[in-house]
Amino acid sequence: MNASLDNSRGNTTVNVLLGVVVIVMLFLLPKFVESTYALHIMILIFINIVMGSSWNILGGYTGQYSVGHSAYFGMGAYTTMMLMQFRQIPPWYGLWAGMLAALVIALIIGSICFRLRGPYFVLASIAVAEIFRVSALNLKDVTNGAEGILITEIPPLTIGGTVITDFASKVPFYYTGLVFVLLIILATWLVQHSKLGYFFQAIREDQDAAHSLGINLTIYKNAALGISAIFTSLAGSLYALYVGFIDPSTVLSLELSVSIVLICIIGGIGTIFGPVIGALVLVPLSEALRSNLIGESLISSGLVKAESTLGHFLTENLSHAHVLIYGVLVVVVILFMPDGVLGFFKALAAKKRKEAA
Amino acid sequence: MAILEIKHVSKFFGGLAANSDVSFEMAQGMIMGLIGPNGAGKTTLFNCITGYYPPSRGEVVFDGRTMNGLQPDAVCKLGMARTWQKVRPLAKMSVVDNVMVGALCRTNSLKKAREMAMEQVRVVRLEHRADFRAGGLPIGERKKLEVARVLATQPKLLLLDEVMGGLNPAESEEIIQLILDIKRLGITQMVIEHDMKAIMRISDRIVVLNSGEKLAEGLPGEVVSNPEVVAAYLGSE
Ligand SMILES: Nc1ncnc2c1ncn2[C@@H]1O[C@H](COP(=O)(O)OP(=O)(O)OP(=O)(O)O)[C@@H](O)[C@H]1O
Ligand SMILES: [Mg+2]
Repeated sequence: MNASLDNSRGNTTVNVLLGVVVIVMLFLLPKFVESTYALHIMILIFINIVMGSSWNILGGYTGQYSVGHSAYFGMGAYTTMMLMQFRQIPPWYGLWAGMLAALVIALIIGSICFRLRGPYFVLASIAVAEIFRVSALNLKDVTNGAEGILITEIPPLTIGGTVITDFASKVPFYYTGLVFVLLIILATWLVQHSKLGYFFQAIREDQDAAHSLGINLTIYKNAALGISAIFTSLAGSLYALYVGFIDPSTVLSLELSVSIVLICIIGGIGTIFGPVIGALVLVPLSEALRSNLIGESLISSGLVKAESTLGHFLTENLSHAHVLIYGVLVVVVILFMPDGVLGFFKALAAKKRKEAA
Repeated sequence: MAILEIKHVSKFFGGLAANSDVSFEMAQGMIMGLIGPNGAGKTTLFNCITGYYPPSRGEVVFDGRTMNGLQPDAVCKLGMARTWQKVRPLAKMSVVDNVMVGALCRTNSLKKAREMAMEQVRVVRLEHRADFRAGGLPIGERKKLEVARVLATQPKLLLLDEVMGGLNPAESEEIIQLILDIKRLGITQMVIEHDMKAIMRISDRIVVLNSGEKLAEGLPGEVVSNPEVVAAYLGSE
């Protein structure tokens, strides 16, 4: 008993040290990495981690599978962008407004949708997000409709007269993303180590049992949704500022809602680092497929001749099939790793340890 | 004064009267046995008492307060807790975490909740399983976990729905001792059980349900010698 306690304490110290080293390295990375493409990928990964981790609090911990999280992402993106472009309010104020807006609509949506359970809740969450997409499309005076909103310029961030950043490079977005990631991981940790976390997981495991043990389902489901929506909105605001353009078919799409869920399912649901792994797998994968990295490298390495049928297939056909390949890969992971990549490797490590013992 | 008064409770599912005009009272500190053939409406009565279903008619008064319109969580907070016939472990959580969920009904501190939970885990003698996943327990231990979890909510009135169902004689005996221990703590209990020997031993009074109606009520000896009760049981078998 004592030995196992000591052992686990030792592991925690190592984990904390490892975490500190990774964080320091991530903060130093832009000093050493010049490639804007590498920074671009990192920023996308950060945004995806925040999206996935936010959903994880509702879906992974509380077991309420929302497939309508684009509503909160879009709420953040649109609020920040509209305030900046139409009202000249700088985004670092705008994103607070976005979080507040997401919280308010989350509580409205929650009070309606949480009357439903299981698949009915999933369908309701999709329907509500669609309402937001269609509204954004049609309220042209407010949102610019299908035209979307394009950033003309982000005002420089100054504190006490000194310019902190003018957002001209990718670096400020990199640091903002990194800070958001650390925030959501901290938030998830706090949830997991509090009464909230116990109640969320009890609701996930058995809602009726939880109810009979004194847990007010309405309050705690809405709490999970509220936290989830606030951070999803934050991801949306950062995405909007970074990409510089939003329209209903990107930030309010069903496709986005699904990809938020996928980050968690691929990485591993209901764990702190599941969405981190999910984003680390999915973002590079979809980038590689989109830019046809595999085909190009096969050709440039001389393995396949560009003029051959295979080469032709790789450059012409495969590059257009990236969505299909992405889909197939996702299905394969879900089939063979039902607990996500993280769960799969944890189980593998446990098996190895058993064999060794 | 009665701790629980059930007044003319009926519950209809479509045309089926799962409970029909059931009335009885329970005194503080007693064990009430609730028996009846399969489908008699025992579990439905628990569901009506604890707010899981609103009764179609009638009223439940607990500790001087009407339970009508209250949700299960509010009922639990007021001190009435129930176990489930079909056990409902929080499968992916550990045994002690399951019990902590019950304890967190009374405290906000995880540390305090863990202490309270360990105490109840010891009461049901599951301490060797404390860190096991609840979903992996055999049925006998799942039943004990159900009891530990509701005990952690610090109930005044405990409703136990077939906590001996599916157990071997040794395990059943442990549960019987546990129920008697709980009685000694001053907690009032209503116990649904099919095992007549067990129910005769532990009950101060017994209510018999049949086809949703209260067929008989009285001391254990009175009830078993009641010809109507005998007929209902023989007729159903
Ligand atoms: N949610 C429901 N919807 C429809 N009918 C129900 C529902 N719950 C119970 N019933 C019906 O009500 C009747 C009483 O069921 P109940 O579960 O209360 O019986 P019981 O006395 O607990 O039986 P057992 O000893 O088998 O547990 C049964 O005929 C059952 O089919
Ligand atoms: Mg029953």
